[in-house]
Amino acid sequence: MNTMTMKWLLRREFWEYKGSMFWAPLAVAALLVLFIGGTVVYGTAMHDIPTHITINGKTVNGYTVGMTLEARHRIAQLASSVYLGAAWPLFGLLTAVTFSYCLGALHDERRDRSILFWKSLPVSDEMTVLSKAITAMVVAPLITMALGFIASLLLLFVSGAAFAVNGINMFGPLLASPDLYLSPLRLLAMLPVYVVCALPTVGWLLLVSSWARAKPLMWAVGAPLVGLLLAKWVSLAAAGVGGTPLNLVAYAQEVAVRLLGGIVPGIWFAFDDAVRPTLRTGADGIDTSGLVSSSYDLLTHADTWLWALLGAAMLYAAMRLRRFRDEG
Amino acid sequence: MSSVISARGLTKRYGKRTAVDGIDFDIPAGRIVGLIGPNGSGKTTTLKAALGLIPFEGSLSVLGFDPRTQRDDLMQDVCFIADVAILPRWLRVKDAIDFVAGVHPRFNREKAERYIAATSLRPAMKVKEMSKGMIVQLHLALVMAIDAKLLVLDEPTLGLDILYRKQFYQNLLEDYFDEHKTIVITTHQVEEVEHILTDLMFIREGRIVLAASMEEIGERYIEVMVSHDKLSAANALQPIDRRTVFGKSVMLFDAASNGISRQQLAALGETRNPSVADLFVATMKGSYA
Repeated sequence: MNTMTMKWLLRREFWEYKGSMFWAPLAVAALLVLFIGGTVVYGTAMHDIPTHITINGKTVNGYTVGMTLEARHRIAQLASSVYLGAAWPLFGLLTAVTFSYCLGALHDERRDRSILFWKSLPVSDEMTVLSKAITAMVVAPLITMALGFIASLLLLFVSGAAFAVNGINMFGPLLASPDLYLSPLRLLAMLPVYVVCALPTVGWLLLVSSWARAKPLMWAVGAPLVGLLLAKWVSLAAAGVGGTPLNLVAYAQEVAVRLLGGIVPGIWFAFDDAVRPTLRTGADGIDTSGLVSSSYDLLTHADTWLWALLGAAMLYAAMRLRRFRDEG
Repeated sequence: MSSVISARGLTKRYGKRTAVDGIDFDIPAGRIVGLIGPNGSGKTTTLKAALGLIPFEGSLSVLGFDPRTQRDDLMQDVCFIADVAILPRWLRVKDAIDFVAGVHPRFNREKAERYIAATSLRPAMKVKEMSKGMIVQLHLALVMAIDAKLLVLDEPTLGLDILYRKQFYQNLLEDYFDEHKTIVITTHQVEEVEHILTDLMFIREGRIVLAASMEEIGERYIEVMVSHDKLSAANALQPIDRRTVFGKSVMLFDAASNGISRQQLAALGETRNPSVADLFVATMKGSYA
């Protein structure tokens, strides 16, 4: 593979979708910091933290007196392990953006016929489709992770500063907490699992995008839904005839989830009992490292790889379709 | 390599309709070929087959490659402008140059920038801010800066004004073309390209009705301003077309098919070479009947 060409293809995708892949999450991240951060600052400033104890007309700042180092350490531990959770709206946005990106990626270029320009250059269809899959599965999530990390960190520091102004300085234990530094790495460590999980969905959406003459959304969502309804109907009919309900609906449901939901970050926790997130809540706050190891449990399941293989096959089909699709 | 494009029994069907009907042709290197035909005659389909954009039947070799199976190799040496192609709305002039420079080993950035400097395009401009003509100017600037062995231009100047069209064909001839390159052009504005063409190919209803070099055409087709007293003699020689200009009869003869000599025709009146447009009209008579 020509890495130079791939670099330019990825850059091309970024130029085209800069609005939804960079500016939109940046705006959401800014709003998060502004509103949540603002609320914390406003709350602590207007109401103080209920820490004042008035004894015989003498006000004593309760925390400076009563809050033990131990308690402060625990709060810092908790904050440093879950602060990235503040970025969850960004991951919701990522799902929506990736979904519409994949549906449009091979359809829009045919609709506006710019495909004939791209195909006049020495860039293969395989490379082009691959660049779009990489954009959806790696580039967009990385941008979201980076923005999410920055926004969460800012929120943590703004909150820390607000508390510090009120006499509770958490920065020491916060900065000393290894979780503060490990959390973004844990998030990053989940990316390969995300790629494996997103592959069937990205493959399906790109296939529909490259196949549908019009209304790719209708086909992409409609086909699995019709399949689901059909499965329900057949199993109902079978239950009426044979008396035993078929397990068809469960299968159809799984197909629909894998084809449409794979791009939801963390969807794999809903797949199987075996990959339930193991969160140990203990004295040291929440141990989020369990999230990573239970995510990787997914990769030991055969059906994970079967679905990924199917996703790769659909990606290949999308490449072949783009190769000979005649646009009149 | 003798032929840049070589087709044998090239056929393309869309359902029941046959767009290209088993055509054979050869285009040698170092030629500028005009592929001329009415709407729906199969020009664009032929070119799309040669560019590996559609599957087809028969055999076709372009620069020694089969466009069906070796398109990726082929595209290293071929560039084209498709008639309906348009640049995407979000593309900026400078990004377009960067991208093509990044992916095309034969792209000359300095040349593209020179062409663009001659227009009103600015580097930060997006395609959606451009007029139709400006988009074509950008597209042409990009393509003309690619040193391809085969350049296919399908209606390249749609939406351009006459000044820029003339300039473009001038550049194509002086700045781009050399004996190692081959250019295939289709256009409806035949009169603007006929002076740069070396070869002509007329296509009608999926078949090639005429393929010859401009010299051959000059020898073979003769237009005569027939004087009144020679009308019946002229008609006896079976002109392929006749029309009246300012009360005088103008007849077009195919010297090859009737064995007519130039001297014979000179006796009938003033002779001259017909324009490609007139030849086209005569050849395509009844196309829309």
